[in-house]
Amino acid sequence: MKKKASPLKQQPMMSPPMARPRFNPETLRRWAVQMGALLALLLLVGYLSLASPHFLTPGNIANVARQTAVTTILAAGQTFVILSGGIDLSVAATAGLSASVAAVLMTSQVWILGVPIGPVPFGVGMIIAMLVGLLVGLLNGLIITKGRIPDFIATLGTLTTMRGIALLVTGGLPVPSHLTATELRGYLPPELIWMGAGDVFGIPVAGLIALGVIVVGWCILRYTAFGRAIYAVGGNREAARVSGINIDRTKIMVYMLSGLLAALAGMVLTGRLNSANALMGEGEELRSIAATVIGGANLFGGQGSLLGTLIGALVIGVLGNGLNLLNVSAFWQRVIQGLVIIGVVIFDQWRRRRFGA
Amino acid sequence: MAEERRLLLRMEQIDKRFPGVHALDHVDFDLYEGEIHVLLGENGAGKSTLMKILSGAISRDSGRIWIGGREGLVEVSDLTPERTRALGIGMVYQELSLVPYLSVAENIFLGGLPRTRWGAVDWAQTYHRAWQRLQDLGVSIDPRAQVRELSVAEQQLTEIARVLESHPRILVLDEPTSALSDTERTRLFELIRRLRDRGVGIIYISHRLAEIPLIGDRVTVLRDGKRIATLPVTEVDEDRLIQMVVGRKLTEQYPWRNNVRGEALLRVENLSLPGVLRNVSFTLHEGEIVGVFGLMGAGQNELARALCGLEPRYTGRIFIANQLIHLRHPWDAIRQGVGLLPRDRRDGLVPLLPIPPNITLGQLCLGSPFRILNLRQEIQIANTYVERLHIHPPILNRPVFYLSGGNQQKVVLARWLCSNVRLLVLDDPTRGIDVGAKAEVFTLMEELSQRGVGILFVSSEMEELLAMANRILVLRQGQISAEYQRGEATEEDLLRSASYEKSNGGSR
Repeated sequence: MKKKASPLKQQPMMSPPMARPRFNPETLRRWAVQMGALLALLLLVGYLSLASPHFLTPGNIANVARQTAVTTILAAGQTFVILSGGIDLSVAATAGLSASVAAVLMTSQVWILGVPIGPVPFGVGMIIAMLVGLLVGLLNGLIITKGRIPDFIATLGTLTTMRGIALLVTGGLPVPSHLTATELRGYLPPELIWMGAGDVFGIPVAGLIALGVIVVGWCILRYTAFGRAIYAVGGNREAARVSGINIDRTKIMVYMLSGLLAALAGMVLTGRLNSANALMGEGEELRSIAATVIGGANLFGGQGSLLGTLIGALVIGVLGNGLNLLNVSAFWQRVIQGLVIIGVVIFDQWRRRRFGA
Repeated sequence: MAEERRLLLRMEQIDKRFPGVHALDHVDFDLYEGEIHVLLGENGAGKSTLMKILSGAISRDSGRIWIGGREGLVEVSDLTPERTRALGIGMVYQELSLVPYLSVAENIFLGGLPRTRWGAVDWAQTYHRAWQRLQDLGVSIDPRAQVRELSVAEQQLTEIARVLESHPRILVLDEPTSALSDTERTRLFELIRRLRDRGVGIIYISHRLAEIPLIGDRVTVLRDGKRIATLPVTEVDEDRLIQMVVGRKLTEQYPWRNNVRGEALLRVENLSLPGVLRNVSFTLHEGEIVGVFGLMGAGQNELARALCGLEPRYTGRIFIANQLIHLRHPWDAIRQGVGLLPRDRRDGLVPLLPIPPNITLGQLCLGSPFRILNLRQEIQIANTYVERLHIHPPILNRPVFYLSGGNQQKVVLARWLCSNVRLLVLDDPTRGIDVGAKAEVFTLMEELSQRGVGILFVSSEMEELLAMANRILVLRQGQISAEYQRGEATEEDLLRSASYEKSNGGSR
């Protein structure tokens, strides 16, 4: 790295590298890639602020932030996975399982191997949820890398398994419920509720958490060796291998990160609903994928950004909120949401072809 | 010699710009019936762009194209791949476009399998006709074999057979011999001549200057998107061509100098890989360039891969600087200062990442995954090497996907130059790159060996090995069959040592 750059050839040849212009068309191109989702978001916000007097009110904006937070956190994990060339269908199930386990332990006393455990305080509950998330991620990673099973199939399997375990843990009941509540403590800790439903200076805590996740994740992707390895593994596995990158370890770490974020999302959701249940967040795995793809990520890996994912999650969130405000029936909402996802991605592909090659 | 022949193709003032590059600057090109027209130029000179415009894969900014038909020349305005095929233009690209899980016969007739009267696929006919087509090419490939089981050379021949199936009147061959053995190449040349005699116009893209007098009638040289000259092959010699291609005289294409041989750097003892390598032993010293030659499949690529930790199931012992090393993963090799230039450029780069991260990719595995990257330093390193290796265009935040082949190769080389590599394994480093870039690669090799880096130089080009290596090891069926000191061997010697026993022309 620190060696003298001896001139390659004596005679002057070819054109000397020109001074690079300040303005670089590449920067513009890079921006254009994220523009599809941003444009959709701006159009949506513009339309809704005209169509509904309730849309641009502080209360509703806080509401959107709270609703979007869970999708954003899950989608952040999903983005890491998709960038590395994988896909994680188990994020919502992991969220449900971690939150269920934590909620049961925080609200009741459980006998494990003859030892009475719980009810545990909020901090311990958080740590337990995170550990469960990491564990599921580790399992996903090991199945995929060591078991050599395609990501899609492996996480489809863990999705079902984790929902099953969550049902076993909660007995199929919401937590806390009047059936599982003991005289010790039958309610969720207030810190958890604050996390999901509270606010600081009028800003929803859940939204701040989601924003924090995006910022930290963005830094990881841009500034750490791990983040770079993710892009390399997703962008060209063989090149990553030849360059000495530990592909298995990178993938396992990515799935663990996704599991960790899923657990965080599960806790935020539990706080917001003031209740956990085994099947919570169903369908969120597909929303997280949709948010990532709307945000401009390539499903085959190696291309995408968390900023795009945040915008993608907002598109989905604002759309849902707006359709509610406009009194569109829940059935039509689904139809419209599906069409919007397809529309944004089609637009994105078209624009990418024009700006890309 | 092309007096009374009809024009098959005329391209006039073709112009194309990509962001930041003037890929084609008002280029003229034409092709007569029964002619082999060689298109020559460095990587990034615009050859592929010109052919892609002809194939309809990309559109031109300006310029006109006429294509000859039964009614004479007809101007065509917008070309699409379908239109091109209908006009009788067949393209054989460097990147193969076969379906790996289908049989050879299915690939040859893809989209138009022979049918029985009832509309079902006539398999007997399919295989029979495929066999005949391959026979015409002079190769014995089983038409029932799955394409993915074939060697690269066999796949290339299958691809050619497929394109010929549509009986093109204009045939474009983009570096068709890069993967072929000498025998296969000779057969291919015979076939090309036969096609020419039947009146097919052939555009032949190649980097091998030595091939041009063997096969070409006329040659057009492109440089930096401009047409430099179009000449009958009989009127040019190799030196003149090189000069036109690179725009300067290459006084020293092979800059080999005698260098001081240092300590033993790499010692390989009884290296074996089931079915590929048998008891390979040799020593490589600091500052030494050891060439490895072998016919296709003789084990030279696996030898290179094993030394870089890509063949973890080897047996035998590998010592680096007198230390026994177990190379189970590429990072084991990289931590020992071993760098690999993979055989396939596409295996070396992350196409969507720009130049700087691609250059520093080999350093990611050194240290904790949680450490912070020094992006500023990375850009500096990239700037240094972009300048030193003349990587063009020097745009640091554009994905390397947009670079030409030779420039991509330079990026992979820069990766090992910027780390303190002790042993560099080059697996066919000049495959598919042009003379100018080749000379640059050799200069770098020379420079590195002067600095004491040991180089294992696997190549299919005997001329390069004879010119650049201190010693040459010849592999035959996974064993070292001969070792020559510099100056001891000729191309004939190498070939004889590589193919002494029951060789069958390089096919598997």
